[in-house]
Amino acid sequence: MANRTYEVMYIIDPETQGDKIEKLNDAVGKLIEKEGGTIVRMDDIGMKNLAYPIQKKETGHYVLFEIEGSGQEIAELERRMRVNDMIMRYITVRVDEDRKTAAKLRDKREARSAKRASFRPSTENQQTTEAVDA
Amino acid sequence: MAEKDMEIMDVKDISLDEEVIGDRPRRYQRRRPRQLVPDYVDWKDVDFLLGFIPERGKIMPRRISGITARDQRRISQAIKRARSMAMLPFVAD
Repeated sequence: MANRTYEVMYIIDPETQGDKIEKLNDAVGKLIEKEGGTIVRMDDIGMKNLAYPIQKKETGHYVLFEIEGSGQEIAELERRMRVNDMIMRYITVRVDEDRKTAAKLRDKREARSAKRASFRPSTENQQTTEAVDA
Repeated sequence: MAEKDMEIMDVKDISLDEEVIGDRPRRYQRRRPRQLVPDYVDWKDVDFLLGFIPERGKIMPRRISGITARDQRRISQAIKRARSMAMLPFVAD
């Protein structure tokens, strides 16, 4: 199956100890690799204030993963995250398609501006220098 | 005189409740600022998204921000994602 890119973010209970958090992150990484995904990026963002309380807690430990894979590892990962007491919240977002359309838009815009520049080679430069002089 | 009422408020800090002035629906003639929205709207970029959230915490309507329908869809999606991860409030007071 075509490769997909996902962003997985989860919030860990602020009361868990540091080594437990590390262990959890390692476990997540191992699970992904076992299921055939690759980790593009792993970012331990750390403690942040929540915009609203979750489970009566005002802060949370944020962790972000960027994963490439078929989608199978995501299903397994979500199942595990759902039952894990330390994880207060999680989200998975598929990003590859949006990024692709963004790249397409950018290319289009660049092509257009290049075309425009080639039509008016010198007038633009003259105008800008005049503006500076004035 | 009605003209004068129309050029009220700065885009950023209007509260939506103030919009209905008088009894008939308002026609919006305000000039639309060309807002720059990046090609990829990142739902983790809280600072950027805050530009589309007035004080109350609601999503700014398109008629106020003046962005395209497509951008509005992408931004509101991003805001909703950020909300569910407690990076943005559902209601701010």
